[in-house]
Amino acid sequence: MAPPAASQRYPSPSQPSGKSEVSDLKTQLRQLAGSRAPGVDDSKRDLYKKVISYMTIGIDVSSVFGEMVMCSATSDIVLKKMCYLYVGNYAKGNPDLSLLTINFLQRDCKDEDPMIRGLALRSLCSLRVPNLVEYLVGPLGSGLKDNNSYVRTIAVTGVLKLYHISPSTCIDADFPATLKSLMLHDSDAQVVANCLSALQEIWSLEASHSEEACREKESLLSKPVIYYFLNRIKEFNEWAQCLILELAVKYVPSDSNDIFDIMNLLEDRLQHANGAVVLATVKVFLQLTLSMTDVHQQVYERIKSPLLTLVSSGSPEQSYAILSHLHLLVVRAPFIFAADYKHFYCQYNEPSYVKKLKLEMLTAVANESNTYEIVTELCEYAANVDIAIARESIRAVGKIALQQYDVNAIVDRLLQFLEMEKDYVTAETLVLVKDLLRKYPQWSHDCISVVGGISSKNIQEPKAKAALIWMLGEYAQDMSDAPYVLENLIENWEEEHSAEVRLHLLTAAMKCFFKRAPETQKALGTALAAGIADFHQDVHDRALFYYRVLQYDVHVAERVVSPPKQAVSVFADTQSSEIKDRVFDEFNSLSVIYQKPSYMFTDKEHRGPFEFSDEVGNISITPEASSDIVPAQQYEANDKDLLLGIDEKDENKGVSNNNGSAYTAPSLESSSNITSQMQELAISGPATSATTPQSFGFDDLFGLGLSTAPAPTPSPPLLKLNARAALDPGAFQQKWRQLPISLTQECSVNPQGIAALTVPQSLIKHMQSHSIHCIASGGQSPNFKFFFFAQKESEPSNYLTECIINTSSAKAQIKVKADEQSTCQAFTTVFETALSKFVSLTFDFVSLCY
Amino acid sequence: MIDNGFPLTTEPSILKEMIAPPNLVSKMLSVVTGNASNVSDTLPSGAGSCVPWRPTDPKYSSNEVYVDLVEEMDAIVNRDGELVKCEIYGEVQMNSQLTGFPDLTLSFANPSILEDMRFHPCVRYRPWESHQVLSFVPPDGEFKLMSYRVKKLKNTPVYVKPQITSDSGTCRISVLVGIRSDPGKTIESITLSFQLPHCVSSADLSSNHGTVTILSNKTCTWTIGRIPKDKTPCLSGTLALEPGLERLHVFPTFKLGFKIMGIALSGLRIEKLDLQTIPPRLYKGFRAQTRAGEFDVRL
Repeated sequence: MAPPAASQRYPSPSQPSGKSEVSDLKTQLRQLAGSRAPGVDDSKRDLYKKVISYMTIGIDVSSVFGEMVMCSATSDIVLKKMCYLYVGNYAKGNPDLSLLTINFLQRDCKDEDPMIRGLALRSLCSLRVPNLVEYLVGPLGSGLKDNNSYVRTIAVTGVLKLYHISPSTCIDADFPATLKSLMLHDSDAQVVANCLSALQEIWSLEASHSEEACREKESLLSKPVIYYFLNRIKEFNEWAQCLILELAVKYVPSDSNDIFDIMNLLEDRLQHANGAVVLATVKVFLQLTLSMTDVHQQVYERIKSPLLTLVSSGSPEQSYAILSHLHLLVVRAPFIFAADYKHFYCQYNEPSYVKKLKLEMLTAVANESNTYEIVTELCEYAANVDIAIARESIRAVGKIALQQYDVNAIVDRLLQFLEMEKDYVTAETLVLVKDLLRKYPQWSHDCISVVGGISSKNIQEPKAKAALIWMLGEYAQDMSDAPYVLENLIENWEEEHSAEVRLHLLTAAMKCFFKRAPETQKALGTALAAGIADFHQDVHDRALFYYRVLQYDVHVAERVVSPPKQAVSVFADTQSSEIKDRVFDEFNSLSVIYQKPSYMFTDKEHRGPFEFSDEVGNISITPEASSDIVPAQQYEANDKDLLLGIDEKDENKGVSNNNGSAYTAPSLESSSNITSQMQELAISGPATSATTPQSFGFDDLFGLGLSTAPAPTPSPPLLKLNARAALDPGAFQQKWRQLPISLTQECSVNPQGIAALTVPQSLIKHMQSHSIHCIASGGQSPNFKFFFFAQKESEPSNYLTECIINTSSAKAQIKVKADEQSTCQAFTTVFETALSKFVSLTFDFVSLCY
Repeated sequence: MIDNGFPLTTEPSILKEMIAPPNLVSKMLSVVTGNASNVSDTLPSGAGSCVPWRPTDPKYSSNEVYVDLVEEMDAIVNRDGELVKCEIYGEVQMNSQLTGFPDLTLSFANPSILEDMRFHPCVRYRPWESHQVLSFVPPDGEFKLMSYRVKKLKNTPVYVKPQITSDSGTCRISVLVGIRSDPGKTIESITLSFQLPHCVSSADLSSNHGTVTILSNKTCTWTIGRIPKDKTPCLSGTLALEPGLERLHVFPTFKLGFKIMGIALSGLRIEKLDLQTIPPRLYKGFRAQTRAGEFDVRL
């Protein structure tokens, strides 16, 4: 205990230790606690301020909890607010002491000042102590009925807090229903908005285990509710408007009138001053009209100018975000901005990240009518001070050239770049000229004459050097000094640090040799010798390979290294269209800015239940089914991919840039495996009743066998399934869309057995033990729907199954899609066996109970 | 204003009421009283009304309302003096100090030139759609009523003619600035700034009007002010390149700044501003102003 003298003066803030000061504060607070003297509130305020400031800088002041509570009996609103803040922060760590605060908080909840009522209620709900929830229900109930909207607003969020502490208490008190009626009838927009966000959260968390919540969640998306919100949307603030628009995106309109009504209601939102509201509205428009192609086009026209304004007004960060969205749109509909290309011209002062995106936009909007102007503009940037942008703009010119519009003029421009004599411009241009020549061999004559004039000494960058060397080899017959240039380069073999360049040198020397043997022979010899002695494995191997092929037969070598080529028609696109669609579905989110769907950059635990977009709404992914097994599998798969990738690369390199050769060798082994398996199946089929491959009489057998006799002894399934199969939801969805249905089957299941199927999880666990994994499940009694997948043990061949079980009619409908059609029947058998075992097990259990 | 993690309001005038912007009086007060916070103790009265942007019943002895048209010209001019891109971004800013619950109607003489307007939440959408008039109950004090864009402008008020010739390690540069099309008002505070390329080792620049400054980061600014009647302002001089360089490969971009008071270059004109109930001693004021936004002249 500090001496009384010390308690008279305030501890100096320059003393950072905190320990003695906290005990100081404690004594001072204790002295003030009972005092009713005038001016005591002011000194209390000072002390409270100190406590709060210690709290915010991270000193633990939880030891004064008792004193703080004792001092809190006051009418001063500032003191109260500070006290609430303190209590809210430390209550979780002091559940016993926080019981002390309940009393005064409850009393404050009945205060006549609505501000205090609200604050007290908020603090009460922020205590987050599970065994105090019983004290919450009363104040919350009266708070929801309060005649002041501020208190109601807080009570609504309080309900959500209560739900997070103790879901059962919240549901038992029937708060969700109260919130719903508030949401539909309250006059205050903020209360309504809070109700909406609270209900969305509660019901989507409840939906996984309660049918009613599921239905309620659906009812939020019903026509009357949506229209109610949209009609009132002008009353809400921007955040709430965005919330409502997000809700409207999920609404499935009943007919085209519905769509037009909504669009008319929301039309003026496009002119809102807030960019977030505009974007959210754009999303609603786009999603609503997806099915109506012509209206969808009109929507593009309508949303164009608001988006363009958002780009040009506001901060560069905003421009960047909007430009990312425009880029997404322009990829889907390139024509929309074709006339507005000038909006994407770069201003001198813009940051380079905006400029880069604008260059991408210019590339994307280029078409027959505007290519000339755009390329002229891009050429301006090539002389730009900013080297990175200059490079990007040259690349953009190249991309436009590869899009096939007005190639003639662009080639001239590119060749002009080469005359600018700036090393980075030359380097970028060389790479582009190489790509152009691969696509338009007819331009070789013009290009070669210019490229031939470039001295290889001026080029330092490996990529550019490799491109130049490739051209030297490829067009050796047109360039008079090609062999000598190559010879020079080969003589400097030791100084060449990049393996890529050395590889290209080898190939170019070979190609040159086939065209002009006498001049190149010596250089080729030097190159092969240097290559074989090279420390880099790839270079060494390739040199050795060339050497041996030449030794074997020169003509064969020519056919391998320098066969006649076909022009490349399309260069590979880096992003699959499936991913692009996915990103489009997540319009108005970070996904667009990262240019990848959210599951690729969020952790599993934060992802939450998301839905299959093409299936009926109520089927949600159950990530736990595959999450625990995925990592190991994926690494394995990755490793395999890597190995395969390298193999393939080497192979391609071996055939030396032969772009025409696809690498698809039919694997004989695997097909023979399948046939042998099928034979096995056919032989052992009749032995076990449930694995009959023919489906005639299967229903009978299945039903009878189960109801009369105990289930047959489980024999190991003949089709070996991978117990640790992995498939991510995206891939599943894509496969499900692509593959045809190989097999549809309906079978009846034992009604008594299936009666035990009240929650989908039990069946999922059971099927997993049979190496059949569930990727999504949903539905409610009596209809359940499951999506299963399985993988063959030996090879990555997938089986996808949709299984609809109706517990009241005791029927299961199975749709199977498979990578390999041949083993599909075998898989179905395995699947049904597994299903039958689930039924029989539960049946046994049920009979035991009787 | 975020209230316990939940957004409460975004309306600037209400925010100002909640947290007073710092001014001399409040600074004095805080020094005297030791109370450093500008946060007011009470919730603004407008927060609960059906027009949340307006305090319930402001009272003024003299009723004043000012409308400002503020426009920014964004343009790119290429080396041949052609206009690559030119558009105007404009805002209608208002300052209203009106008693009670006024209902205003603002109309333009030529609303058809406007493209893609966006409005303050107070503007009613239907009257604009049918008659192109802005009908609204204004917030109290200063606010931005709407913003718009005007495209397809054919002319800029000022021209800039840069020329660079380089030969054997030195560059001669000359830049002429003059009035292209007289807007009818004086063009003020004309400035021209550009970044000297990295390869320039030293520069010797002088002008026949205004001042030229070169900062250490090679940013060169030429402050012209108004263009004199008797001569055309001209910047000229030589740039010495780094040794080994014969010619200049990288060309600077000139950024032009100017300001014209009293005119909106887009040609937008306000026709009239009506009040439904005319309060005593009403004063209405209109102003217009145009300035250069992103105005690039390439070389």
